[in-house]
Amino acid sequence: MKTKKIVSLVLASMLAVSSFAACSTTTTDGTTTAGGGGDVETSAEGEKEIVDFTMFAAMAGKEKDADNEIMQIIAEKTGVRVKETWLTGQDAGEAIGSIIASGKLPDLIDGGDGCVTLYENGLLVAWDDYLEKYPNLKEMYTEQEWDQFRMDDGHIYWANVFGNSYDHNTATGHNGEAFWIQVRVLEWAGYPKIETLDEYFDLLERYAEANPELPDGTTVIPYTCLCEDWKYYCLENAPMFLDGYPNDGCVIVNIDAGQSNPKVVDYNTTDTAKMYFKKLNEEYAKGAIDPDFATQTYDEYIAKLSTGRVLGLCDQYWDFAYSIMGPFATPLTATDGTEFRLDELGCDYVPLGLVAEKGMDQQWHSYDDELNCSSGCAVTTSCSDPDLAFAFLSALLDQDIHDLRFWGIEGVDYLVDEETGLYYRTEEMRENWKSDSYKAKHSCEYSYCPQWLGMSKDGINRMQPGEQPSEFIESLAGPLRACFEAYGVGTYSEFIGSKVVVNAPWYPLWSWSNSLGTDTEGGIAWKDMGECKHYWLPTVVMSSNFESDWAAYQEAYAACNPQAFLDEAQAAVNERLETAKSFGWTEPA
Amino acid sequence: MSDISNVDFERIKHKKRMATEDIIFYIFNTAFLLLFAVVTLYPVLNTLAYSFNDGNDAVRGGIYLLPRRFSLRSYQEVLFERDGIHQGAKVTVARTVLGTLTSLAANALLSFILSRKKFLFKSSLSLFWIITMYASGGLIPVLILFRYLHLTSSFWVYIIPGMVSAFNVMVMRTYMQGIPDSLEEAAQLEGAGYMRVFISIITPLCKPVYATIALFVAVYHWNAWFDAMLYNRFDPQYTTLQYELMKLLDSVSATTGGQGSAAQMTAANANTLTPITVRAAATIATMAPIIALYPFLQRYFVTGLTIGGVKE
Amino acid sequence: MENSISESKVKNPKKEIDINKPKFTVKEFKRQWVLVAISAVYVIYGIIFYYLPLVGWIMAFQKFVYRDNIIQAITGSKWVGLDKFKFLFSNNKFPIVIRNTFAMGTLNLIFSTIAAIVFAILLNEVRNKYFKKSIQTISYMPHFLSWIIVVAIVHDALTSTGIVNDLLMRVGILKQPYAFLGDPKLFWGIVTFSNLWKETGWNAIIYLAAITSIDPCLYESASIDGAGRFQKMRYVTLPGLRPTIMILLLMNVGNVLNAGFELQYLLGNGLVQNVSRTIDIYVLDWALDAKNMDYSLGTAAGIFKTVVSMTFIVGANYIAKRKGDDRLF
Repeated sequence: MKTKKIVSLVLASMLAVSSFAACSTTTTDGTTTAGGGGDVETSAEGEKEIVDFTMFAAMAGKEKDADNEIMQIIAEKTGVRVKETWLTGQDAGEAIGSIIASGKLPDLIDGGDGCVTLYENGLLVAWDDYLEKYPNLKEMYTEQEWDQFRMDDGHIYWANVFGNSYDHNTATGHNGEAFWIQVRVLEWAGYPKIETLDEYFDLLERYAEANPELPDGTTVIPYTCLCEDWKYYCLENAPMFLDGYPNDGCVIVNIDAGQSNPKVVDYNTTDTAKMYFKKLNEEYAKGAIDPDFATQTYDEYIAKLSTGRVLGLCDQYWDFAYSIMGPFATPLTATDGTEFRLDELGCDYVPLGLVAEKGMDQQWHSYDDELNCSSGCAVTTSCSDPDLAFAFLSALLDQDIHDLRFWGIEGVDYLVDEETGLYYRTEEMRENWKSDSYKAKHSCEYSYCPQWLGMSKDGINRMQPGEQPSEFIESLAGPLRACFEAYGVGTYSEFIGSKVVVNAPWYPLWSWSNSLGTDTEGGIAWKDMGECKHYWLPTVVMSSNFESDWAAYQEAYAACNPQAFLDEAQAAVNERLETAKSFGWTEPA
Repeated sequence: MSDISNVDFERIKHKKRMATEDIIFYIFNTAFLLLFAVVTLYPVLNTLAYSFNDGNDAVRGGIYLLPRRFSLRSYQEVLFERDGIHQGAKVTVARTVLGTLTSLAANALLSFILSRKKFLFKSSLSLFWIITMYASGGLIPVLILFRYLHLTSSFWVYIIPGMVSAFNVMVMRTYMQGIPDSLEEAAQLEGAGYMRVFISIITPLCKPVYATIALFVAVYHWNAWFDAMLYNRFDPQYTTLQYELMKLLDSVSATTGGQGSAAQMTAANANTLTPITVRAAATIATMAPIIALYPFLQRYFVTGLTIGGVKE
Repeated sequence: MENSISESKVKNPKKEIDINKPKFTVKEFKRQWVLVAISAVYVIYGIIFYYLPLVGWIMAFQKFVYRDNIIQAITGSKWVGLDKFKFLFSNNKFPIVIRNTFAMGTLNLIFSTIAAIVFAILLNEVRNKYFKKSIQTISYMPHFLSWIIVVAIVHDALTSTGIVNDLLMRVGILKQPYAFLGDPKLFWGIVTFSNLWKETGWNAIIYLAAITSIDPCLYESASIDGAGRFQKMRYVTLPGLRPTIMILLLMNVGNVLNAGFELQYLLGNGLVQNVSRTIDIYVLDWALDAKNMDYSLGTAAGIFKTVVSMTFIVGANYIAKRKGDDRLF
């Protein structure tokens, strides 16, 4: 009978289940030392043994194929192959927590915000001795900077791999925040000098009136702003920059009394803040601001930008620029049947460092390297051979391997000019490096392992293709290049023309505020302030009675007890200053 | 029976009246159901359209029922270009089949026990299991427990812990309670023990609810990825299909709070942006087998299995 | 036996005697030994996998700091008693968050139950097999779409250039686009609608299965008695569905505080945050930031939810018992 068959099948599988469970094939015994990799495999030639390590980075990323070409080459040179896993569907804290609890740690890890927890659990290997052994690694930072990584027990447990320039900073882009404007708008007005909000919006309005549509009939949006979740900084922190201060993220640090006497100032209550929001309010009433700005999702925001309709926005480069590169290079059809491309139309964006008053200096762009000590690449106690791990990390900084990681294989991914020795790429090579599947099969950046920006050790090229001047210029569309020429600059970082300063010892303060918990009064205040602003900032912009709504906002804001937060911020600034002084920092003349 | 002619008359009158009522009802019902179907079908068609669209073009939005720029690229990427997908598919199929069978059996047996009116511990055992639906120790305690049970880094973590689910048990129990007691009593009179009753009497009559629960459990296993991540993160041989697909999707989610240095955010974003089309293709690829499975189960949703038992 | 029943009925005509109430005698025990033995296995299984982790609740009473060795972690963390709970309740946002969760959960419960039942009954009336099957298959497809996809569609439809504004302006109801997504008064409605859209077809599956278990003879005798279509629904179908409806209602009453995370998170924004934040979102925001990974707070919130859920369940179960309906336990 059919029933009998099904029943016997079911019973059989249940038996199978229990018998398999009984002789479990797993070998973990609940301790962490047995986890991780360390499997040894001999390569085909039998010369060098290749060790497989695992790595987890608490950030999003793409996994490489198992037979990735460059990964194999690097493995043969260094004796180590690393399988990277990335953050998916969780946030960093949860992921690190679950990894620790599961008892299975990878060999290498970048725990992001969770690095401190890993340290507190005694799961990381100290770098100190290995720094002496591997000069490549030691070279990453100065003594002073290394000291900033020291934890309470005096040892160093991780190294941040980003924002580190060899020799000098060669950034061509402006990765940070700015008021962006489409190149064609500047061109239409004859490449004027735009410094204030008034000039900026005035130009956007006039252009929109004169050119209300794109060739394919879509209407132009003069200005939009993203307010979603933590990305609402687009709307929220402009007052900090408008007053000429750098990106400390949560407060202004006023150094009128000298860098030894920093004073924390709340940028949410300044006159500039009121002026800025009042201006936005006026523009909104005129219809110059996207009516959906307050409720749009990130995807909708990118969709709007990628159509080329948006003339101006305030945001950080990495948040939008990469998503629109592809669409801007795609051919579209105009209403009259002709083809056009948005980048050739001049829709690319350039950064404007607006200020509150004409003539002021601004620090929208930071030309110095940033030091973020709160997270970095680390080796876990679960690694079977820490010495090999550190040797590997050090080898990654050898110039030939570094080039393999970021430039690729010579002849396949880049060519060398015989006379100048400069690396360059053909159009096809550049296209390849934009393709996900090519990168999965071929390229192996080990992007969360030690790396450099800046000049290559050969003194000619750059560590990263993106910073190679020739590559950079080549990748620009016509109108963008013309714009740079018209203003007499060659890169985004020159274009924005910020004041060149050496970063203050406490900079960037957002690395402190990001890690604020709710166990202090200031931390709670910070959360409350955030929620308050999330509601009130879009509301005052859209308000029909700005003065009364602004007053209501200030009242609600004050009720969040911001002083508690500011006090803690001041304490953090002072502490960082003291730490720097103890390592020999002196106030610049 | 006396007036046969009268009865006939009544019946005919009824039939005529019902004919007009019937037609009106059928029209409205059909129209309503069609409207409902269209409205519910739209998001699926929309996703389908995105999945067949070119990635760069799709970013601009504005795609509704048909792709604007046809491309099979997204499917290619989803189905063929990721290493882990094949292993994931194997593991997922295995856990779906095995998990559904074991879960069905385990849940059904418990439901049977709980549906027996005279069972001594009916109330307390039910309460015992109901509580499990609303009380949880949390992610970390469960993880630690599995670790000490040697269930992490293992395939069995997918099968064993989830075998009994209070919700499914309650649904099946209700259904079983609807089966007339007379059947059970008649069988017991003939000397059948409880197990015999379960296998030969109750189970054949429970096909609709078995099919329902089988569907629920199968869908759960098919879509599961979080457990693969939590318990088998560093064991790629136990990865599931959905986990591989999740890894493919844009994971620069909104929960990544706080800024990193601009350089770090650049690295993150430059590496990971996934077109909406890939997400759509992944969704369709996952949905399709389930949709295909359902008609196979539908034949169990048939009336008339309760009759033919015992004459009341 | 019979005498006692009729006697009891005369004595207490309103109270039903349950002849099948389990009798705790040794004889009965022996008769049922198979059932008892097997249920013992289930109890052990349940204890291992469901009750043992509840030891983790101790975290809610400590300032829990994770240590690799769980024993060390528990004994090493500082005991703070009810501090975490105090923090939860004293925070002025918590009542609002509970209100939101409760409101959306209840709305969802009521409407989705009604919608699923209505849909199942209407679908059951369809005579054509193929039409019925295809409608049913289509109806549960949105269940497989992730909330990210469904919310994207809903969100897009409600923007100032979306379908809804477009239609309303064409018909003349609106002169200017209305910002639906920024209006707190509409948020709960939009959430409920989205839930209905996505889950009605799937929720109806159970009811459809239950309808098939209704004895067709009942329909026939109803026909003979002259019942029309709607009367059959009222007197045959609905009563036949009643046990299923009641059990599902009971179980879902306990879930009212689990009103969700993803949907509200994706659909929410700064303007409506006062009505959109649910307990889960709140906990994630306040408890699970990376520096502290405040499991204690998260666990405390979890315990709170469990206590409330169980209270509802026990209460609802008691009501069902009194009314003589099917009950959970």
